Amino acid sequence: MTSPLASLLSAERKEKLKLLIRDGRIFWSKYKHNRTGIAGLGILVFFVSMAFLAPLIGQYDELYPPNSLEWARVNPTLSAPSADHLFGTDLYGRDIFTLTMYGARASLIVGLMASAISIILGTGVGVAAGYLGKSWDELLMRVTDFFLVIPWLPLMIVFAMLMGKSFTNVIIVIGITSWPWTARIVRSQVLSVKEKAFVVRARCIGAGSFTIVRKHIMPNVLPLVFASTILLIANAIFSESFLEFLGLGGDMISWGNMLEAAYDGHAFESYAWWWILPPGLFIIVLIMAFYLVGEATDEILNPKLRRR
Amino acid sequence: MAQNFSRYFFKRLLYVLITIYFILTFNFFLFRVMPADVEDILIPKGADEATKEALREYYGLDRSYLEQYVDYLGGFLHGELGKSISVRVGAEVTEVLAVYVPNTLLLVGFGTILAVFVGVVLGRETAWRRGKLADRIGSSFFIVFYCMPTFLFALVMLMLVTHYFPSWPARGTFSDDYYDLDLFGKIIDRIQYMLLPMFALVIETIAAFSIVTRSSLIDVLTEDYMVTAVAKGLRGRQVLRAHAMPNAMLPVVTTVAINVGWVLSGSIMIEIIFSYQGLGYLTWDAVWGQDYPVMQAVFMLETVAVLFANFIADMMLFKLDPRVKV
Repeated sequence: MTSPLASLLSAERKEKLKLLIRDGRIFWSKYKHNRTGIAGLGILVFFVSMAFLAPLIGQYDELYPPNSLEWARVNPTLSAPSADHLFGTDLYGRDIFTLTMYGARASLIVGLMASAISIILGTGVGVAAGYLGKSWDELLMRVTDFFLVIPWLPLMIVFAMLMGKSFTNVIIVIGITSWPWTARIVRSQVLSVKEKAFVVRARCIGAGSFTIVRKHIMPNVLPLVFASTILLIANAIFSESFLEFLGLGGDMISWGNMLEAAYDGHAFESYAWWWILPPGLFIIVLIMAFYLVGEATDEILNPKLRRR
Repeated sequence: MAQNFSRYFFKRLLYVLITIYFILTFNFFLFRVMPADVEDILIPKGADEATKEALREYYGLDRSYLEQYVDYLGGFLHGELGKSISVRVGAEVTEVLAVYVPNTLLLVGFGTILAVFVGVVLGRETAWRRGKLADRIGSSFFIVFYCMPTFLFALVMLMLVTHYFPSWPARGTFSDDYYDLDLFGKIIDRIQYMLLPMFALVIETIAAFSIVTRSSLIDVLTEDYMVTAVAKGLRGRQVLRAHAMPNAMLPVVTTVAINVGWVLSGSIMIEIIFSYQGLGYLTWDAVWGQDYPVMQAVFMLETVAVLFANFIADMMLFKLDPRVKV
């Protein structure tokens, strides 16, 4: 029985894949009993499908204000929610329901990309500091502490201003300012794993540093990293919404952008609650969902760290 | 002890100064390494040739990096942080800061004091009644407010207040006739304007302090010496005041210090939303006007504030906790 797919996999790879699937099954069997975790996951699935289906569900395509009298006549501006416009319209006559749908994309993309950057940086610095030790450790941890002590929001704003306003830059800025915590966590874990017998033995039989890090240290560090990733994503989404609210983002539609437009468009004075609540509530709910999933994952992957 | 303290004091102070030096250096290079050209960053785009030349001279942009760096450090010691581009065209950044800093100090200072007081009391009372109904309700409120993003909370609050209480001064720093009022009137006026932003600012911090106080106090209450104190015949409240609280306060001190950075970040958002003319509002102005020198100075100032808050917390911990070693 050699299907073309199976022949691509060596015996060793196949074994690994099997183990991975088994681990996944065990994880899921524990996870599905965690009620808050399931609730969080449900909300996440909802948001992800919202982001994918935005062009289909969204009632209206015209997302940017075309600035023409024609447009203003056809589309009511600042109208309260109705059957035509589920969440009402904004000052420019845009349909808020459609905007909110598209906004989910920005949040999810930033959340994933920014935390990927910060995980890579953080894990790299953490492993290097923990594994190389001595003066490297001292140097890298001083740098990490330095970044930890700087208040995060002003630092992000300074970076974002210098790099110019764009959606990509928002992702990069959040990524390069949020790695220090990951580095700290990874370093302490590497320090404790490094002294374990199996690592010492691996070194005795002549394994190189790269192999030891890849095969013995990383598998013990990754579960911790994974649990903190989810919280990183939540923080990244929050940071993004604020940077966009400050006007440091690009043209991509996001909830932060919508809030900025609402603020500048005096939605408060005219009590246009339908312009503020959808993006505001969606940010909170999405962040909460990530926290719930993060807590549940943390409990399963790192049972020793479970809080009271 | 006294000698130990002064040794500890100077060691920590040295550490703070070194960090400030690194932040200065970091700031210097940040502006010269970034993709944007230094000239574009430090010199306003629409300026005429004479102004541009004067600013180039002022920053020494035609000289070597080393000379610029030495000049920059020297300038910092003399309080020269550059010239504002858009917030107050051509003014020294320090002059601009002098207008905004007191407002933020008022907001953040009183906010922190209020948050510590209320947070510690709430934490103490819930820990004392742990497991009971009051504790369960209180703790869930703490968690909800702790998770709530500050600026969204502030936005919703602003919306509701402007709608239901249109006469309440929801936005601004003080009323138009502020300077005509007597001292008492000025204080009342300030309080009116500060009430909403402060409430939005402290709600998260209060929750954070309550959570820390509660969990740290619960730890202490289960210690053996608490049983001893009760066995000795002390009444419950006496035990709490004399034996439990002093020990439970140690983590709270650290949390307060760490929170200064958070509160400053939070105040940026709050001040923008309520148009309160502090550092946060200045940040907003600087971002809109691409005023890099001002933004850089605000960033410096806030970092230094956080460093000193940590420094003071270290000193307090040393006095409070005899286990801290030099």
